[in-house]
Amino acid sequence: MSTDMIPIRMPDLGDVSKAVVVQWLQSIGCQLVEGDDLLEVETEKTTFVIPAPASGRLVAIHAPETAAVTTGESLGEIEPE
Amino acid sequence: MNPNSTIGHVSLGRSDYGETLALQRALHTKRCSDSLGDILLSVEHNPVFTLGRSGSRDHILVSDSVLEQQGIKIYDIERGGDITYHGPGQLVIYPILDLRGYGKDIHRFIWSLEEAMIQTLKALNIPSDRNEGFPGVWVDGRKIASIGVYVKNWVTYHGLALNVHVSQEHFRMINPCGLSVETVSVCDLSDVPVKVSEIGERVVWQLGALLEKDIVAMNREEVI
Repeated sequence: MSTDMIPIRMPDLGDVSKAVVVQWLQSIGCQLVEGDDLLEVETEKTTFVIPAPASGRLVAIHAPETAAVTTGESLGEIEPE
Repeated sequence: MNPNSTIGHVSLGRSDYGETLALQRALHTKRCSDSLGDILLSVEHNPVFTLGRSGSRDHILVSDSVLEQQGIKIYDIERGGDITYHGPGQLVIYPILDLRGYGKDIHRFIWSLEEAMIQTLKALNIPSDRNEGFPGVWVDGRKIASIGVYVKNWVTYHGLALNVHVSQEHFRMINPCGLSVETVSVCDLSDVPVKVSEIGERVVWQLGALLEKDIVAMNREEVI
């Protein structure tokens, strides 16, 4: 990962062991505003919406749909404005 | 009373699913903007199937024409989980809660929803339990309650469904939650007649106790 990219990390959802990526709500190349709905993950019959951590362009997706992810894991990258 | 120490409870009675979904979404928006406190909606729906984010229409076991004849609509919705049924005789509770006030812990929230139902059933002399890896409430391997939640900006909606006296005819039209499981209702396990509204009051009270909040009855007009 290049140093000027902003990582999109799996947030801490509490005492859950893992979650599964349900869908990305934005595509590679999309311009994002901080707080935009970015992707949905599911754990324990709960769909959780992860917002964009910063404004910029979505340049990488590391965790595609159906991938199992854990807290702190890099899900993708944003190139800041 | 400090609004931060209370949860409002709105009992909607019998309500169409689509109308209640629109209400949930409106209240979720208000809760996210902090113009509304935490709310629990309790409701009994007309017959409907809902498909969550992990849902598949392959789990509907009857044709579209049968559903049309029975007047059963299908909704694709954003909550977690697969397919479930809502209908008369089933208690549905939609918590619209800001989980930032409850430790931002999804597991703890789901556990509390389950526990509120387990304790309510226990008071009716019905022993029930969790099934590791399959959120919901179970009695001897039969599913009595389902859970499916959506969380955006840490504010929840959708919620739980507890079978009180539900027609098995409609459940037989699906594989509930994508599982080939048998479902059961409170009335199958208790000699004491119970109303959905009474069970609703008990589950809401239990949930308030578990979340360490006082429950305050509100009407629909106060929250919209």
